Amino acid sequence: MTARVLKPAPAWLVSSEQPIGPGRVGRRKRAAFLEKTLGDGAEVVRRAMYAESADPRGDRPGVLFRIDPRIKLVALVVLLLGVALVHTPVTLAVVYLGLVLLAWAGGVSVGAFVTRVWLFVPLFTAVALAPATLSVITPGEVLVPLWTWHGAQEGITSQGLTSAGLVILRVACSVSLVLLVTISTSWNRLLAALGALGVPRIFVMVIAMAYRYLFVLLGSVLDMVLARKARTVQPVAHTAGDRRFVGAAVGTLLGRAGHLSEEVHQAMTARGYAGQHHTLTGFRASGLDLLALAASLMVAVVIVGGDHLLR
Amino acid sequence: MADTEIVFHAKGLGYTYLDRYPALDDVSFQIRRGERIALLGANGSGKSTLLKILDGLVFPTSGELSAYGQPLTEESLADPAVNARFRSRVGIVFQNSDVQVFSATVREEIAFGCLQLGLSAAETAARTADVLDMLEIEDLTDRTPFLLSGGQKKKVALASVLVMNPEVILFDEPTAALDPRTQHWLIDLIAQLGEAGKTVVLATHDLHTLADLTDRAIIFGENHRVLADTQTRAILADRSQLIAANLIHDHEV
Ligand SMILES: Nc1ncnc2c1ncn2[C@@H]1O[C@H](COP(=O)(O)OP(=O)(O)OP(=O)(O)O)[C@@H](O)[C@H]1O
Ligand SMILES: [Mg+2]
Repeated sequence: MTARVLKPAPAWLVSSEQPIGPGRVGRRKRAAFLEKTLGDGAEVVRRAMYAESADPRGDRPGVLFRIDPRIKLVALVVLLLGVALVHTPVTLAVVYLGLVLLAWAGGVSVGAFVTRVWLFVPLFTAVALAPATLSVITPGEVLVPLWTWHGAQEGITSQGLTSAGLVILRVACSVSLVLLVTISTSWNRLLAALGALGVPRIFVMVIAMAYRYLFVLLGSVLDMVLARKARTVQPVAHTAGDRRFVGAAVGTLLGRAGHLSEEVHQAMTARGYAGQHHTLTGFRASGLDLLALAASLMVAVVIVGGDHLLR
Repeated sequence: MADTEIVFHAKGLGYTYLDRYPALDDVSFQIRRGERIALLGANGSGKSTLLKILDGLVFPTSGELSAYGQPLTEESLADPAVNARFRSRVGIVFQNSDVQVFSATVREEIAFGCLQLGLSAAETAARTADVLDMLEIEDLTDRTPFLLSGGQKKKVALASVLVMNPEVILFDEPTAALDPRTQHWLIDLIAQLGEAGKTVVLATHDLHTLADLTDRAIIFGENHRVLADTQTRAILADRSQLIAANLIHDHEV
């Protein structure tokens, strides 16, 4: 067998020629929109999920952090049901204020909590709901006339606004509840609690995997954006190239997602993972836990009952 | 030699990715307890794939592999007791440490394996502290592994395997991404582990440290077959094998 010596580098690579570049120093172009959005999005999600995936690190963690995760999950389900049964915006607004208060009292950073909820809620609901406020869809008393149709005023109706408000508030309350639990419980403990509550192993495993490689993927997105940036000398003619890049990037990502999820799973298997989560701090139910459970049951009853009186 | 002394016994192992990309072809060898073995070969010759097969993470598409005298197959590892026993005895340090760190904090990351295998929380915490201290990464304890530098991730990945104190450690290019001081430290550590009687299988491209770390080397050719399986010193002395495997070329000093 003859040894294959590395091929010689092409002459242009080893000559002292000038690097490829614009003949003249061009104006600085604003960063390509899609590229920037892709990078920013990944960074935002990464921060949002990590900044506070808090294990009680401070000297005295807030009360929410000290409640047993299993209790928190049960309370979460009870309160979510309660919120789903409420039919007036006023009750929901009160519940929402209560949640913000709870966050504050429980040691969760209120600013981050509120912004995170309102970052997602409008995005997912407001756009979808906007048409429902119009008289053509929800007939009623027109508050903001927009146009006339066969002599009748058409526009945003109070009934439409009410039903849209109801949905938005309900989503805000539900998202807030979920956030309170995820912010105040470390991920591993949450998964362990799901297992302890009898959620089938395969579900817990799927959730765990999805979460874990989400981060590896996010890293990939950032790396791809950077890698492209590093190779882009002259950021002209953004739009078409951008779209192509994003298209190709999404394709590559899907391929990587499959490969990475497999490797992450292998790494977990190699260290004995078989679908059951074990954590450093064991579960122990305390007086605080029972109190929290009782309180959440009571609150659920009160909001549903109070809502009935308001109707 | 007693059968219990044989850790791995491979007979005609073959592996093909997606029915199309060959990674290993007709690979046979035995690995005895306490041996220190290097896997050498050009990029893409199948080293990483072999390590994953030895760790029971992927299963050969042809041939047979047994570990500790028992067949190592998907079915045998489906038994939780067998799986736990095997996982506690054999550890692997991946080439890509990005996939190997997946917990929310470095502490949880390192504790993960021990907890999965049923070590008590107190014992796990103590061991975790020891490893953090040994690797001088205590300051990273509460950090998120994903957000660490490449070399720091590698250290965490190493710590997370060492903490389980396996009998057999499979290293996939362990010194890649480490700074020179840490590389030296790791090479010392691997040497110590070898002296302590651990079985070490090491995929590497670093020929300089080979003689110190291993006694035996298996060279893979670009056809994914075993090209040579002999003493490390013999291989380093007779460079023709390394040249044939495209690991070095004639002009290299
Ligand atoms: N997930 C995969 N899908 C398809 N082919 C793969 C996959 N992983 C590896 N291969 C192929 O299998 C062969 C062996 O790969 P392997 O990673 O085992 O090589 P290696 O010896 O570890 O290389 P290196 O020195 O670069 O790490 C290569 O040809 C590679 O392209
Ligand atoms: Mg490899």
